[in-house]
Amino acid sequence: MMLATILHTEELLSTMVAAVVAGIGVTFAFSVGIWGAGQFVELSRNERPVAAAAAGIVGALALACVVAALAIGILVMTDK
Amino acid sequence: MSADIILVIVVATALAFDYTNGFHDTANVVATSISTGAARPQVAIAFAAILNFVGAFISISVAATVAKDVVDAEVITPTIVFAGLIGAIAWNLITWYFGLPSSSSHALIGGVVGSAVAAVGFDAVIADGVIGKVLIPAVVAPLLAFLVAAVAIGISYRVAGKQRPGIVTRGYRYGQIVSGGLLALAHGTNDAQKTMGVITLALIANGTLAPESDPPSWVIFSAATAIALGTYSGGWRIIKTTGTRIIKMDAAQGFSAQGAGAAVILASTHYGFPLSTTHVINGGVMGAGAGKRLSAVRWGVAGNIFVAWLLTLPAAAAIGGLTYGFTRIFGTGALGPILVTLMALSLIVAAFARRAQRGAPVEATG
Repeated sequence: MMLATILHTEELLSTMVAAVVAGIGVTFAFSVGIWGAGQFVELSRNERPVAAAAAGIVGALALACVVAALAIGILVMTDK
Repeated sequence: MSADIILVIVVATALAFDYTNGFHDTANVVATSISTGAARPQVAIAFAAILNFVGAFISISVAATVAKDVVDAEVITPTIVFAGLIGAIAWNLITWYFGLPSSSSHALIGGVVGSAVAAVGFDAVIADGVIGKVLIPAVVAPLLAFLVAAVAIGISYRVAGKQRPGIVTRGYRYGQIVSGGLLALAHGTNDAQKTMGVITLALIANGTLAPESDPPSWVIFSAATAIALGTYSGGWRIIKTTGTRIIKMDAAQGFSAQGAGAAVILASTHYGFPLSTTHVINGGVMGAGAGKRLSAVRWGVAGNIFVAWLLTLPAAAAIGGLTYGFTRIFGTGALGPILVTLMALSLIVAAFARRAQRGAPVEATG
């Protein structure tokens, strides 16, 4: 208990979880966004409009997740 | 009158420290964006300076930690804070002169702890705060940034690696504008708050503020301005060295490194942990390198960081303690701090002149 108080265990763990989720999650979502853009261009060239549109939508949704994550992060930071 | 003179000297010294912090750390904040071609140097530096300024306003948790959880504000005097600042500045200058990548943040906390111990004894130090909020996060944060960046770059390559290189590079370069901006914001908020915390501590010690007070608006604004000006002026000097000294990485690595660094610093800032931003950013860069191949990491640099990290707290504490002892030779008035300030200014001018003559590059500290 004493050690836990000195170490600020809860705050430290929360920091680690937040950093992992934000750092890896945002990179993953952004990479999906790039994948979607790449697939959209590639499939459009191959004249597969439906598949291209689907890839484009997945990419756009992933980028929207990135924007939402950043907005939430800044709101949490400024809230305290 | 004498107390007011000391307080003015403390505030000016703290802001000078903040300016040098921004000056040195510009390289950390903008290097990755410039290296990958995501932003032109002039744009990256101006952007970083603005976001450092903005970042200083988004939280005061770290300032509260520095002001309330490191030393007992009720037994601290402005002279003790002054001696601590001199300890930090002196150690920063020494490590800068010898090219050691040390942490300004650890130097600041070490300096204040050392001068407080010299003046009052170990009772002045809040051991729980120093261990739990400074030392443990100092170890955890760079390792966390390393791991996050290493995993993130692995995911990036796996998810987007098979797309056309042009799209991938352009995409991550655009992403780096955001991740680089977040990193500058994170740097501004964590590092500027340390100066706010020290000035607040001095104001409480002087009786200007009540104990447990938060930093006043003028303190937040002046700390934000000092770090932003330091970032902007530091940048113009590093432009010259950017091409040869920065690790070459691709845009995905840059994005992952900056994202990991920003995530760790912002999350830590939210919980009031005063970090070494230099160590975290370097941890992210090394993680992004190791995620691609282990040999890409400059393990020698990692070793230097480790040695500097081990030395910084005790060395800055020793200088802070000695400085306090020296000021007390001249009594409790303003004469001691004035003499130390004059000596410090002379040494700084001499060190810069000698370094400029040798044409040595600027090393980052944080």
